This record gives sequence, C-alpha cells and structure tokens, in this order.
Amino acid sequence: MSLDLRSIEDYLCSLAKEKVGPIIKAKSGTQHVYDAKSGSRAVDIVTAIDKQVEKLIWTNVKEKYPDFKFVGEESFVPGETTITDEPTFIIDPIDGTTNFVHDFPFSCTSLGLALNKEPVVGVIYNPHLDLLVSASKNNGVRVNGKTFDFSAKTKEMGPLTLKTSVVALQPGSAREGSNFQTKMRTYEALLSCDEGFVHGFRNLGSSAMTLAYICLGYLDSYWDGGCYSWDVCAGWCILKETGGRIVGANPGEWDVPVDNRTYLAVRACESSKQQEQYIEDFWACVKGSLKY
Amino acid sequence: MALTKEQLKDIETSLVDLASKEVGPLLKEKAGTQFDAFDDKANQVDLVTAVDKKIEAIIKESLNKLYPDFKFVGEETYQPGTTEIGKEPTFIVDPIDGTTNFIHGYPYSCTSLGLVENGVPVVGVVYNPHLNMMFHASKDNGARLNGEPIKVPERDLTLQQSIIALEAGSERSSGSSGDDNFDIKQATYKNLLSDKGGYIHGSRSCGSAAMNMCLVATGKLDAYWEGGCWAWDVCAGWCIVTECGGMVVGGNPNAWEVPVDERCYLAVRGGCTNPSQKTFVENFWSHVAGKLKYHW
Repeated sequence: MSLDLRSIEDYLCSLAKEKVGPIIKAKSGTQHVYDAKSGSRAVDIVTAIDKQVEKLIWTNVKEKYPDFKFVGEESFVPGETTITDEPTFIIDPIDGTTNFVHDFPFSCTSLGLALNKEPVVGVIYNPHLDLLVSASKNNGVRVNGKTFDFSAKTKEMGPLTLKTSVVALQPGSAREGSNFQTKMRTYEALLSCDEGFVHGFRNLGSSAMTLAYICLGYLDSYWDGGCYSWDVCAGWCILKETGGRIVGANPGEWDVPVDNRTYLAVRACESSKQQEQYIEDFWACVKGSLKY
Repeated sequence: MALTKEQLKDIETSLVDLASKEVGPLLKEKAGTQFDAFDDKANQVDLVTAVDKKIEAIIKESLNKLYPDFKFVGEETYQPGTTEIGKEPTFIVDPIDGTTNFIHGYPYSCTSLGLVENGVPVVGVVYNPHLNMMFHASKDNGARLNGEPIKVPERDLTLQQSIIALEAGSERSSGSSGDDNFDIKQATYKNLLSDKGGYIHGSRSCGSAAMNMCLVATGKLDAYWEGGCWAWDVCAGWCIVTECGGMVVGGNPNAWEVPVDERCYLAVRGGCTNPSQKTFVENFWSHVAGKLKYHW
C-alpha cells in the first residue's frame, strides 16, 4: 500500500496543535479526581480527560482515514489488541499523565502511525512549551512546522560515549518485584564512578517528551521498561529520521518490535559503529533482565 | 540596619535587569557549544567552562558598581574553608546553574542570583533564557514569573500523592572518601519509590537545583530533596520558594532550621496549610536512609 505519509503527518500536526493541545493545557493541574488502574494507592494514574481526548482523536482520524486501524492507550485491551501489518494509528492521548495531574509542564500528546509494524509517522505536541516535533519516513523532521537540520545538530554534538552522556531514566509506576530491582541496580551502575559514570541522568516523566528531546539533541539516550507501543511509536519514527536508533533494554536485543515494552533509545552520531559501541557499553551496565 | 522592603525591591529589579540583559544572552548563545572546552573540577562529571568564569566576572563587576558595600560569594571564586557567609548583605551567585545541561544543550541551565542578609535569603532571581522564564522575588514583596505574580493553586499535600525532584549529583563513589552519601541517596530514592515505602507518584530530575527550586515554588513539583549542592545553588530559589508560601528545611531528619550553606535541603511547595507542610516533611524524613554529611 502506498500512503502519502507527509500529508498524514500534516493532518496529525494540526489535530495535535489545534484540537488536543488546548485541552491538555487548559485541564493540566485541574484533575483532583483520578483513578489508579490498580488500586487507590497505586501510581498508574488515569483521568477522565485521558479518555475524553482519546475519543476526540479517534473520532477525527476515523473520519479522515476510515480504513486505518486504531490502537490507543485508553481503548487497549490486554491480550486482545494486536498490531498488524495494516496502517495503524498508535496514540497516547496524554503522555505523562502524572505530570498532567500535577501540572508539571511535560505532558504531551503522542500520535503515531505504524505500517507493517514499523513507525512511519510521528507527531508529539507539548502545549505547555508550545513544542511540536514531527516526522514521517524519508521526509525528515520538523519543529513547530519548520525543517529541523538534525545533521548539523549531530555534528555539533560531537562523539557519543557513555561517560560523556546524559541519560533519561524513569522508575515508572511498577514499584515492586524484580523489574523495579533491576531498574534501581542499573541506575546505580550507570551513575557509579566504578561503572558507567555518565554525566548525569534526567527524568521528565514522559516517554514521548524524552524521545522528542533526544531528537532535538538535548539528551543522549533513554532506557526504560514497562512502557507501551503508544508511548514510543511517534517518538520512534522521529528518532529514526534523525539517525537515532531504538533497541531493547536488555543486552543483545538489537531488533525489537514497537510493542516490545522495553527500550533503549540512542541519539544520532556520526558513525553507526560508535552508536553500536554506545549500546554495548550501556548494556554492560544493565543489572538483570526486564521482563513484561 | 536591615534593608527595607523598598530597598529589597530595588535590588530585585537590578538583578532582573542584569540577568535578562547581560547574562541571559550569553547563556543562550553558548549553550550546547562547549563540548571541547570543559576542564575537570572535582571529577569529570563536575564540568566547569570558561563561560562560567566569564559570566561570574561580569556579574561581580556589575554588582560591585551598584552595591560596593555588599559582600559577594560566587561559585567560581569560592575558596573552600576560607569563604564565609556572615550577617552583612551578601550576594550569593551561581553564574550558570546546571552546567552539565549547559554543555549538553539541555534547556534547563539558568543563572541564579541571590542576596542574603543575616543569613536569610531576601532576594532571588533565577533566569532560564532557553525557556524564557524569569523567576524573581524579594522578602515581603511576593514572587513573580516574567513580571506576573505567581499564584500557587490550593491543593492537598501528601507524600504518597507527590512528585519530587531527586538528582544524582556529581558525587558518585560508594564510601571512597570516608562517607556514604551516594549510597544513602540511592537507598532513600528507593525508599521513596517502593510500594512498601513512600510509593510517591513520581520523581523528576531537571539537572539544575535552581530550576527545581522554582518548579517547587510555582507548585509544579511538590518537593525537592538534595544533598551536596552549595549556597549559590539554592539561595535565590530559597527566597522565591518562601515568597510563594513554601518552606525550606534541612535534608536530614529534624533539621527544621538550617543555614543557607547547609548543603543538604528539603524544599516543599506552598498552596497548602503549614501543618500539612510539616506532616509532609516528617513523613519525608522517615524515608531518609542515613545521615548525609557534608561538613567535616
């Protein structure tokens, strides 16, 4: 199937900026009533606005692209919803829901399209910072609608090495069991002067914003487990356009599907060998194995 | 003789001017371009650039002209063991807070200009030119963001439903210098996150103490816990936090009153009652896994 990916990108950009963004901005920090998906004290928060925004997106894309499939965070049914080879919108209405509840200015909407399970369109919009980052396969990257010269940025950033990198890490909402232990031990190994000794870690509380920041050259990498295809689909497409790469969070997982649930995203650099070396050095600090 | 409310407001205005006209443009222009320029300070993580030094010199010179009688303490001119913060009005300045962010072009570097009198932060200006955010406050004059009064929304404050700024910092060895600050911090983070411990909504990390303080001040974050930073990292933000109804205490349990150079802090937002702030602080302290030590 041949699709005009650029026109889909443009459509998703206007949807994100004109319809979704204003709701996120207006409602951020106002939702004092929210559910936790797994109990009242839990931290996997969802609000009525998440559901409302997903419905809005679904209604709009359904009208415009009636034949495309749709996978969204709020309508996802574990064990039932699958991603096929058909054109499929994979969207997170509000990525960074905890940020949204607390009005920490890093919630955003993340709209992706996968074709043959590959992310081919990605649109991320943060209305608090009025930052729109978008791309489609073989069409390059745009920031607020203007072409983004990522190859100049890549040159400016210089070599990519673990020790000189700033890494995004997020504990996430699962706070017990072996995955939590693996994350904590890996963070410590990355930071410790005896092992990774990275320049620093940052935690934005939003996978999509983190991927957008890597694309813009603000961060060098992002390691996470527990997130879903809608958290990464849009960012994955954009990152790939810049020359960045996504592999699995566990050592040796060079090729992973969009719903792998564990990811290591790495920025572009001037040689693919350097990028591979970075991934291997990073994996050497992973203590244990993330399983979902 | 204490400075009057009007005098403090004038100083605030001068610092805003200095930050926006002289410091901001340099910060914005040079961010992300210093990759080959950093030299090692304590170790390779603690990056200092030529720009850092240059900006501090500019600030010091300007403040000397405007306020020749005031003392000056800056990150780059600080002498361990010699530099002291006394009772007289003293500017406490970090030319570039978030140096690692600055070098990497991560848009959370800022300049942090504070004034203490009798050891209390009484003026604070924090300017992030990348996001065009100017936070400024002075004692009893309130706090502003880009000139507009900051209004912290009223919201309940509980530890479990909070998001808290936590940083790794640059001290990364386990017990090698006779202390175990790195291990205590890691264990405390784990206590706060674990479902058997604080089970907080989340942690965030901006890589800049001054920016974290301002996010707490405006209520975007509920709290910020830190050990290892310096007076110039927190002085300006401290004044902004308190003017927004927040409070700053020590990072170690029961340290309700701490000096500006304590090096270990817990900042808590406003928008709630003083008793709920105190309960939050006590709950937080119960998860601190040992005594952080920075004074020998």
